[in-house]
Amino acid sequence: MGPKPLDLAIETIDLTKRYGSLVAVNRLNLRVGKGTIHGFLGPNGAGKTTTIKILVGLLKPDGGRAIVLGEEVHGDNPRSRLKIGYMPELPKFPRHLKGWELLDIYGQMYGMPLQERRTRIKRLMELVGLKGRENDLIGEYSKGMQQRLGIAQALLSEPELVILDEPSLGLDPVGMVEVREIIREIAREGVTVFLSSHLLSEVEQVCTHISIIHRGVCLAEGPLKDIISKISGSAILEVEVAETPDKIVEAVKRLPFVSNIHVEGSRVIIETNANGDVRPQISRAIIEAGGTIIYMNLRMRSLEETFMRLIMKSR
Amino acid sequence: MNFEDKSWSREPKLMRQLWAVIKYELLWNIRKKKFLGVLIVAFAITTLNLTLPVILRRTYDMPIESNPNYIVSNSGIGGLMLFLFALVTVMNSISGEFESGTIVPLLTKPISRTLILIGKIAAAFITIFAAYLLLYTYMIVGGTIIYGPQNNLDLTPLCILGDLLSTFVWVSIILALGSLTKNTILTSVIAIMVFLAMNIGSSIISVFTESAWMLHYLPGNGAAGYIKVEGQPTAYAGSISTGTDNITKMIIQYYLHPSANVTYVKVELRGGSPQGGLSSLLKELYSEPLSLVLFRAISVAAAYIIALITLAWYIFKRAQILE
Ligand SMILES: Nc1ncnc2c1ncn2[C@@H]1O[C@H](COP(=O)(O)OP(=O)(O)OP(=O)(O)O)[C@@H](O)[C@H]1O
Ligand SMILES: [Mg+2]
Repeated sequence: MGPKPLDLAIETIDLTKRYGSLVAVNRLNLRVGKGTIHGFLGPNGAGKTTTIKILVGLLKPDGGRAIVLGEEVHGDNPRSRLKIGYMPELPKFPRHLKGWELLDIYGQMYGMPLQERRTRIKRLMELVGLKGRENDLIGEYSKGMQQRLGIAQALLSEPELVILDEPSLGLDPVGMVEVREIIREIAREGVTVFLSSHLLSEVEQVCTHISIIHRGVCLAEGPLKDIISKISGSAILEVEVAETPDKIVEAVKRLPFVSNIHVEGSRVIIETNANGDVRPQISRAIIEAGGTIIYMNLRMRSLEETFMRLIMKSR
Repeated sequence: MNFEDKSWSREPKLMRQLWAVIKYELLWNIRKKKFLGVLIVAFAITTLNLTLPVILRRTYDMPIESNPNYIVSNSGIGGLMLFLFALVTVMNSISGEFESGTIVPLLTKPISRTLILIGKIAAAFITIFAAYLLLYTYMIVGGTIIYGPQNNLDLTPLCILGDLLSTFVWVSIILALGSLTKNTILTSVIAIMVFLAMNIGSSIISVFTESAWMLHYLPGNGAAGYIKVEGQPTAYAGSISTGTDNITKMIIQYYLHPSANVTYVKVELRGGSPQGGLSSLLKELYSEPLSLVLFRAISVAAAYIIALITLAWYIFKRAQILE
């Protein structure tokens, strides 16, 4: 049945958006649970930005519905944006305003009182690494600094849901790590984070759930681990035994779900095509063959592999 | 960060949000080089206006006479300046946001598009109002120093209001164009073309045809006519243009001659009369009371402002942000 509608931060039902004859989003059904860090993946032109723009009211869908934090998104509905922080893809801010002036004005739009704005802006500027530059005109900011300001303004109002469209785009390596830390930190405080990204390693490190879309269609959705094991269908086990590895290779090879086995130094690498966890069966086989396990690790397939498989399959 | 104790309310006050947009826009306006440029030009023109007669009289060793009517006869910011103030203040206030992409973070704040537009218009009003206040103050102080104490200074607030009304006809035209095209260059080019067409076209129509009436319903300079005051020996008390750009001048004339009439004339190119002379070349078309002319100009200006701002709002409210 899945979670109750109340537990969803974002839900789309058959959401459709066309640009002329091009169907950018095609009957998309997204379900983003509250309190999750949900990665939104897909190749270039998959329809991620288009979907996000519908969610924040910048575009009107041609069909279907979108419900964000329990509010139906339709027309110009300021109320529905009250609890959402949004960072656009490559955000642009008025060049003639100073960093803090912009955040102060945005804060006023959220109804934050002066004192609250002051302390919050100070803390956010520190958080995104713009401390000391808040009195400079945004026109003098570098691309990455504008990106950082984009993150700050998305978190300004202490939102319940933060939507980030490629937050790491244009950031230096330190910035990328910092963004990951910020995402984890706000998620710890109960904020739902929905982010689109091309950095699969980033998504893998930070996200609890993912949706993969391609040509406007959702190919997979769910907890990160489930999707990887479901799509890749197999796991890799690394085993180290006290004895010479050759002794156990023969025994393990006979197991029906083992598809491949080879020795890498002192370790035995076992590829399986089973769906469940096969560690108990393998360890039993090794012990029966007289081996002593001193190390065993279940290596998940990477998200990248999963992603490539999925996209290739649907080509 | 603490997401638990949120002391501020989740119900932002509309007035506070409106003030935020006004601030957003005002900070932009006063940092616009084009706006500062036009303000400097306006001051230069006013300075020239004030001092040129003095310089000329000095050159010919003539004394400077005091003129208590200097301000009254020079009030009313000229059509071109009205247009330029409108243009530089609002030419990119809608289209510029679309072009630069700054519209994206703005529209995703919990503030309605209607309020954003109202804030932008209010900021334009404050900006232009402040500029005119400065200009009038400069003119009055300068005029009093050079030409002695001035008459009818109590008219000044009404004059500024008249000029603002005239300017806002152009403001609303430019806002509607900006909202329609979402392109600053296109907006400016079309606006300038409309301005030129209204000025050149109105002169041609007014002088050479008998269709001056239609100029009453177009923005800009309007139809040219002469003011006739009952019981005054001379036929004409002065010439006047009756378009939306000249509301202040009409307010002053109405104040000075409340019962005057405006007579529209056209130039007869062929009808050479035996006596010759200018007056014989002018054919009087028709007359109407100045009060009616003024009232109509104000109504037409208001109608344009309301209709065009409604149009700008309608388009802006429904715009999709494609980038
Ligand atoms: N303004 C537009 N006009 C016409 N087509 C558009 C427009 N914006 C996007 N598209 C098309 O819609 C499709 C989806 O685009 P979208 O920007 O949503 O992709 P995306 O997943 O965000 O891609 P990326 O990873 O490159 O950011 C693409 O085929 C794109 O060409
Ligand atoms: Mg995108």
